[in-house]
Amino acid sequence: MSAIYGLYADPNIAQRAVNNLRALGVADADITVISSEPFEHFEFGHRDAKTAMPWIAAGAGLAGLGLTYWLLGASQRSWPLVTAGMPVVPLWTNLIIIFEMTMLSAILATVITLVVTAFVGQRGKLYDPEVSDGYILVGVEHPPDAAKLEPALTIDGGRVKHAS
Amino acid sequence: MAYRWGMAIDIDKCTGCEACVVACHAENNIPTVSPQQASRGRAMHWLRVERYYEGHFPDVRVKFRPVLCQQCDNAPCEAVCPTYAAHHNEDGLNAQVYNRCIGTRYCANACTYNVRFFNFFNPEWPKPLQLQLNPDVSVREVGVMEKCTFCVQRIKAAKIAAKAENREVADGTLQPACAQACPTSAIVFGNLNDPNSRVARLARSPRGSRLLEDLGAEPKITYLAKQPWHERDLA
Amino acid sequence: MNRTLTKPFTDDMVRPVMSTTVWFWAILLATGTVVACGAAAWAYQLWYGIGVSGKRWPGFWALYLTNFVFWIGISHAGTLISAILRLVNAGWRRPVTRVAEVITVFALMIGAMFPIIHLGRPWLAFWLFPYPSAREIWPNFRSPLAWDFFAINTYLTGSLLFLLLPMIPDFATIRDRATGWRKSVYRTLAFGWRGTTTQWNRLESAMQIMAIAILPVAVSVHTIVSFDFSMANVPMWHSTIFGPYFVAGAIFSGIAALIIAMAALRKALHLEKYLQPLHFENLGKLLLLMSILWAYFVFNERLTVWYGNEHHEMAVFWATQRGQYAPFYWTMVVCNFLVPMLLLTNPYTRTITGCVIASFGVVVGMWLERFLIVVPSLAHKALPYSWGTYTPTPVELYIMAATFAAMILLYTLFAKFVPIIAIWEMKAGDFAHGAGQGVGAGDPHRIDTTPVSTEAAS
Repeated sequence: MSAIYGLYADPNIAQRAVNNLRALGVADADITVISSEPFEHFEFGHRDAKTAMPWIAAGAGLAGLGLTYWLLGASQRSWPLVTAGMPVVPLWTNLIIIFEMTMLSAILATVITLVVTAFVGQRGKLYDPEVSDGYILVGVEHPPDAAKLEPALTIDGGRVKHAS
Repeated sequence: MAYRWGMAIDIDKCTGCEACVVACHAENNIPTVSPQQASRGRAMHWLRVERYYEGHFPDVRVKFRPVLCQQCDNAPCEAVCPTYAAHHNEDGLNAQVYNRCIGTRYCANACTYNVRFFNFFNPEWPKPLQLQLNPDVSVREVGVMEKCTFCVQRIKAAKIAAKAENREVADGTLQPACAQACPTSAIVFGNLNDPNSRVARLARSPRGSRLLEDLGAEPKITYLAKQPWHERDLA
Repeated sequence: MNRTLTKPFTDDMVRPVMSTTVWFWAILLATGTVVACGAAAWAYQLWYGIGVSGKRWPGFWALYLTNFVFWIGISHAGTLISAILRLVNAGWRRPVTRVAEVITVFALMIGAMFPIIHLGRPWLAFWLFPYPSAREIWPNFRSPLAWDFFAINTYLTGSLLFLLLPMIPDFATIRDRATGWRKSVYRTLAFGWRGTTTQWNRLESAMQIMAIAILPVAVSVHTIVSFDFSMANVPMWHSTIFGPYFVAGAIFSGIAALIIAMAALRKALHLEKYLQPLHFENLGKLLLLMSILWAYFVFNERLTVWYGNEHHEMAVFWATQRGQYAPFYWTMVVCNFLVPMLLLTNPYTRTITGCVIASFGVVVGMWLERFLIVVPSLAHKALPYSWGTYTPTPVELYIMAATFAAMILLYTLFAKFVPIIAIWEMKAGDFAHGAGQGVGAGDPHRIDTTPVSTEAAS
């Protein structure tokens, strides 16, 4: 995997590096920005923040709700045992379990979505251990023309490296 | 006709002899515990005779009240069992399924009358007491709740015999061990759904009341006792 | 975080993971011994039966249930700090979140042991799992104990994930600095985390959703635990106030446990720079608030009982207030209300030491409160002939001591393998306030190579 990237100590400089790459015509999806902390207040930090995760969580919650409602009723009717004066399928008490399973479904769906979108397929991609020391990596994987990109990344104290 | 088993206990006739307690132990394979364990509150008397003293010497009166599972229609113990070990059966009895019990003891806490008992240890019958065990009743292992069943084994046997002969169980032919043993016939057992049965008539008696009735558990045992206002108002 | 502080901060966080002192082994040995004693006591109980404990007719629940409610209560620490403060964007939570979340997870695990320990036939506990067991009968979903099963498992799963997910970027940091066997272990644990903006965005989204989801779950868990009591028609149990009362009490004891844990970690791992008196001050104020709230609930409950003068309930009331349980009751009032009021209202005593003393008092007081809820009510039910007393036996006390030791043991092990303060959350904190507010995308057609003055960056 070949790549060219710069390491910057300052997120403002990293932002300029990203802007420079864009000015050279590199597509947003090809620009890799890696850091050891999230930079939400910088544009490069939230450029791909749009996600369907809340909708997936809500949908899974609804699915859990429906499934639990059905399951509780079906299991209680399969063996209709009388306890005290309560109905065999009491909605009030079933609501408690339905609530818990709804929340559990939402939580599990969120985690599964996170694993699928963020953890799967990371093997062999661009990384530099210096990121853990606080540097921000801005680079391009498999650049068609690395030499053209180098001046865009060599700004104000950033170190440019090549990966192969 | 659906059965609804109930009991009427006449406190005016009860002498406190506790023959019913012994009979219950014998019939239902209730384990005995050592004196040390009994002092630690582990004795299991499905039926106990509560003794209350009224007045001061020499004017003391003693009241005896046999307390057993009231087989409540609105039983607080049934709803709280997580494994359905305690539930209401079709005869109106509060059934305890020993095999289903995992021993959370929630039912015993919820029971208003404290008539549920727990097997704290594995029961033991030192020889030759094991010869006296009733083969119709199971022996419970450690960790299982138990309580009065209105001698459900006798009820089942009577129902099976009656069904084989295509008739109902006749009033007075079926008695739990306590009713059978009582020397003064203070305990009357029968089908509350039959308005002519002895127990149904006694349940309507003006001498009748139920234990802790205002707590709403709807017990099915009627206690018959002459109340002070009987003498005052009905004389 | 300020650029000059990042590397020393990361070093401070990673050092306990890389190096081990003799204290680690000493704590492990001491707590491990106590835990082993507790395990032996439990084995003894499994063999001989629940009879080896002090439970008796009519008090069938005693110390095990007290401990159950106590530990589930302690587990509410993490949720308050992490979820609520995250949702309201309170910056001072950052060094504290992981400490709190770890308490939650371990307290839940320990608390969830007790329903199994107190069972008469624990080998059948799996019947609470929703599946058709004997003769295809499902569990009784109308029972509060079945609700407990669902609530605690949901909360445990949610809290565990809430704790584990933000640990992954920190594992990546350690992976990059570690050598030898540590490197391969942390490489596996890091799940291939790189730190791309996509990964950060997804992680933050997931944390936000989970914070919103876990709050109602936490409230519901202790409410459902309170339902174990309020659903039974026992004098002074059958109270509608139990739901909010228990939740408030849980958050109260959780904050106290958190303060103690923070103070201990601060001393043991030399985190004086990061866990500052400000954090203890803020948590101390929260503890004071919860103390007042707890007192409000207790007053509410007891006034209603006293005013109603219903003789079943008054028997329990007087037993706790003036009878054999009075020493426990008044100790509880002092520990939960008087001591926090005295120490935490005064800014001069609201120091780290003051907060820790108040917290120890609260932990003791809240344990006593659980005891006073469970035992006196069962000892004085409706029929006076069947009143009884309760005395704990050594088996129960060993198991109880073992749970406290287990908490310390698990916590020590955790702090050994994972940085106890979330490295990335602390670093992100600095930029949330001040420098770097919404730096824009700039002119897309210009390559900007002008030097930037470094003052603007810090």
